[in-house]
Amino acid sequence: MMNNSNRVIRNSIRSAAVLVFLAGAAPALAGAGKAGHGHGDGQKMGHMKDGMKMDGHGAPGHHGAMAAIGEAGKAADVTRTITVTMIDNLYDPENITVKAGETIRFKIVNKGEFLHEFGLGTAAMHKKHQAEMMKMWEHGMIEADRINHDKMKMDHGDGHAMKHDDPNSILLEPGKSGEIIWKFTKPTKLEFACNIPGHYESGMMGEIRFK
Amino acid sequence: MTHSNKIFAAAVFAAAHLIPVSEARAADMDDAIYWHVQAEQLEYRTGESDDVVAWDVNAWIGNDDHRLAFKSEGENPVGKRLEAAELQFLYRRPISTFFDGNIGVRHDLRPNPDRTYGVVGIQGLAKQFVETGADLFISEKGDVSARLEAEVDWLLTQRLVLQPSAEINLAFSEDAAIESGAGINNIELGVRLKYEFRREFAPYVGVHYERKVGATANFARDEGEDTDAVRFVAGVSFWF
Amino acid sequence: MQPSFRSIFALAAFAVGALALAPAAMAGTYNLEIARGTIDVTQDNRDAMTINGTVPGPVLRFKEGEELTINVANRMDVDTSIHWHGLILPYKQDGVPGISFPGIKAGETFTYRFPAQQAGTYWYHSHSGLQEQAGIYGAIIIEPKKREPFRFDKEYVVVLSDWHQTDKPEAIITNLKRMSDYYNYQQRTLGTFIDDAKKMGFGAALSDRMDWGSMRMLPSDIADVSGYVFLMNGQNPEQNWTGLFKPGERIRLRFINAAAMTYFDVRIPGLKMTVVQADGNNVRPVPVDEFRIAVAETYDVIVRPTEDKAYTIFAESMARTGHARGTLTPEMGRTADVPDARPKQFLTMADMGMAHGDMAGMDHGSMMKGMDHGAMKMPGGDHKMPDGTMMKGMDHSQMGHGMMKGMDHGKMGHDAMASKPKDDPFYAPGSGLMPKAANGGKFLSYADLKAFRPLYPERESTRVIEVRLTGNMERYIWSINDVKYSDAEPIKLKFGERVRFKFINETMMTHPMHLHGMWQILDNGSGKDNPAKHTISIAPGTTVEADIEADAEGQWAFHCHLMYHMASGMFRKVVVERETAEIAR
Repeated sequence: MMNNSNRVIRNSIRSAAVLVFLAGAAPALAGAGKAGHGHGDGQKMGHMKDGMKMDGHGAPGHHGAMAAIGEAGKAADVTRTITVTMIDNLYDPENITVKAGETIRFKIVNKGEFLHEFGLGTAAMHKKHQAEMMKMWEHGMIEADRINHDKMKMDHGDGHAMKHDDPNSILLEPGKSGEIIWKFTKPTKLEFACNIPGHYESGMMGEIRFK
Repeated sequence: MTHSNKIFAAAVFAAAHLIPVSEARAADMDDAIYWHVQAEQLEYRTGESDDVVAWDVNAWIGNDDHRLAFKSEGENPVGKRLEAAELQFLYRRPISTFFDGNIGVRHDLRPNPDRTYGVVGIQGLAKQFVETGADLFISEKGDVSARLEAEVDWLLTQRLVLQPSAEINLAFSEDAAIESGAGINNIELGVRLKYEFRREFAPYVGVHYERKVGATANFARDEGEDTDAVRFVAGVSFWF
Repeated sequence: MQPSFRSIFALAAFAVGALALAPAAMAGTYNLEIARGTIDVTQDNRDAMTINGTVPGPVLRFKEGEELTINVANRMDVDTSIHWHGLILPYKQDGVPGISFPGIKAGETFTYRFPAQQAGTYWYHSHSGLQEQAGIYGAIIIEPKKREPFRFDKEYVVVLSDWHQTDKPEAIITNLKRMSDYYNYQQRTLGTFIDDAKKMGFGAALSDRMDWGSMRMLPSDIADVSGYVFLMNGQNPEQNWTGLFKPGERIRLRFINAAAMTYFDVRIPGLKMTVVQADGNNVRPVPVDEFRIAVAETYDVIVRPTEDKAYTIFAESMARTGHARGTLTPEMGRTADVPDARPKQFLTMADMGMAHGDMAGMDHGSMMKGMDHGAMKMPGGDHKMPDGTMMKGMDHSQMGHGMMKGMDHGKMGHDAMASKPKDDPFYAPGSGLMPKAANGGKFLSYADLKAFRPLYPERESTRVIEVRLTGNMERYIWSINDVKYSDAEPIKLKFGERVRFKFINETMMTHPMHLHGMWQILDNGSGKDNPAKHTISIAPGTTVEADIEADAEGQWAFHCHLMYHMASGMFRKVVVERETAEIAR
């Protein structure tokens, strides 16, 4: 349906839109990123070389919410490792059971052909994050099967690139793997979810059940 | 007489042979035969001059490409002898997106003496949804005449329709026996207000104006007839 | 730790193994009986044609890989047939009288035999005469061998259809042939003229009237037929088809548009719907607020109502002449508000492929300037431009809309931009049919459909076949390339070739074009991920392209799925032939 000339025009508009978006959103995102980063201090970034951490524009968001869902865990405290396999567009296992106070190492493997996320949060946090992911999607920062690193790293003009370094979420391209260490401080209603547009809604989410 | 009959026979023959037999399969349903019978005007006219019962009816049968059509119109002054009665038998086929061509015969039972004509004409939907018709007639006497018609439906509401119409008859030579002069014979103008209870049934009221012109008017004056008349009309239009 | 996952793999492995050992092990026999019966959706019972006594017929549930035997008994006094809409099968099993087989005579039984080669939501219907409109249609579900790439706890089939309140199908087509605007009671009147004059000024209103008058077309002709009651699973809006759920459950709704003439705009106020399948093929999930389902299409959506309350499934006809309605509820008897009808929609000059005023910023205004619409014999005639070039084959898609929307990005905050719904590129810019979600949210576009797993590898098509959708509304003749079916030669494809159909809609109607036996891979700009569909809707004033892999030998039907368009000529036979020389290669 699209002919070439049309597509060229559309693409140029999209680029223009991304610029506008980035310019307008940068301060807000930078702020959120700082907050998220504060929580992520204990996180060893070296573990993340395969994947890419998502910053707080959505999931971790606020200090209060963060406290409720638990906190980034220390490797030394890990008592259990859970491997979560991501396929298109499902998790295995579908649900996870934890104990309050437990620190778990989540080994996340993307065996699908699409980009997937593993994020911990409440349903409300995921919902908010989905809107943000939709924007990233629309602006070409993430695509069906890849992260557009160039667009992600784009300098917003105030020295802040969009870094994704939040401890409760990981975004993995096909074939990649990574891990999250998380301490579940107290029982609460939590979900793990992939917030790439359409994935959560079609079932790529599961419950964190407290024993 | 024999000439026009030949035209008619030829039209019937052509139509009968060109309409394919349709089979009841989904695939070739598009060649099915349909028919339509319509009384466009069936009305009583009253006012100046005599009261008149007038009709204008038509029918067709055929597929998309070939149709046999019948038309009749006429006037009967109340309490008097039939004044005009015309029958047409036509072969019809599309000649453009919105227009059909007609070829066939016309036979006038009235006026006296009766006349038979060969007919060639077109009819269809002109711009702005104007229904138009143009016919050329050649009588058995060799006289050539023509008729132009136009009519449009203006919707006041989805069912209340104002319908102006006009008709002009003209002749290229005189046929004194039927009181037809050369040149424009007569003009008819009408405005009818219809209410469509259903598409198929619409009673109406309106005004009809008729004027004989030129030599034809002279014929009428010689006979002591009126040359023009405005009449109110009430009637029904229906089809099935 | 991963029992469900493992067991599924184990099952799948077992299934594959079992199939390998005994290929014919999975087989099923189904019996359908077509008879005259009644339907109770208007004031009184009406004569209908039924399958196993009901309208719609039973939901047929097959398994992927199953060897199917389906006995169709004709208990009527006229010929009938069943076509398996969207199924890939040998052409003699396809059920089109005059193309696949002679049909099923009165009192006879025909046994269809074919394997279920695919999975997903499909449907079946009579392909004889106008019998589909009389009630012969039903749903097909084929369960996949493999796990589906989405989750649901419960599923419902939602068959949408139209039933005429007064006229039988034969009467409908006869009325249309006698008077093509017979059913159009939304025509322009003195009243609408006054309204228009108030809105746009007397001159503009008059000029608009004159434009339409020049073309001798009606902007209100969206559906050709009015007077329908719209049904959901055979129930009218008052009968209110109801599906139950527990809050938090994921429900898969399998929407099938089995209507003869009606497109529906479907929404469930309060719920996002995530489209996971279109025409039986999985697509990458798209959360939407509303979607338009063309005649003969299917869409599978997943909804997840979390609240303990009822929701209305609202399927409004595209012409806004009514709606089908059903309810999802935690317990029987609860209902939700039924939305009000939205204002009537009217076609615009854009739908004629020639927009004027409201397309500021588009250069094609100048291209059209001075064009004498009256001189264009439309539809069906040649579209002569003033300079003598033909508009025939004009690529409407070049009039992209993308440039109009989004031009003001500079002025807009990014929130406004993100939330502002985009125009659907599959409609002419400025089209009167431009989909807009009732809640201002996301309306599904063909542009959103991306194959979850492409059925065919991407490759260049060998040639382009122009399929101009043409017609003569006044005579109620519909055609392809200005020739109706009974006057046309078949379209011939070489077995193994990939051809591109270039649909150019030169009419003012929206046409759902259905190809039997092979997929149409819709070019929506997704390249290798272009979705495969059995039915592609082409909006007025647009050009849409689709690739066809000619991998099914035989003769197939290809037609507009609007029943009365199909019946009046918008139909072709497509023949896929092997060439011996080609085989040798």
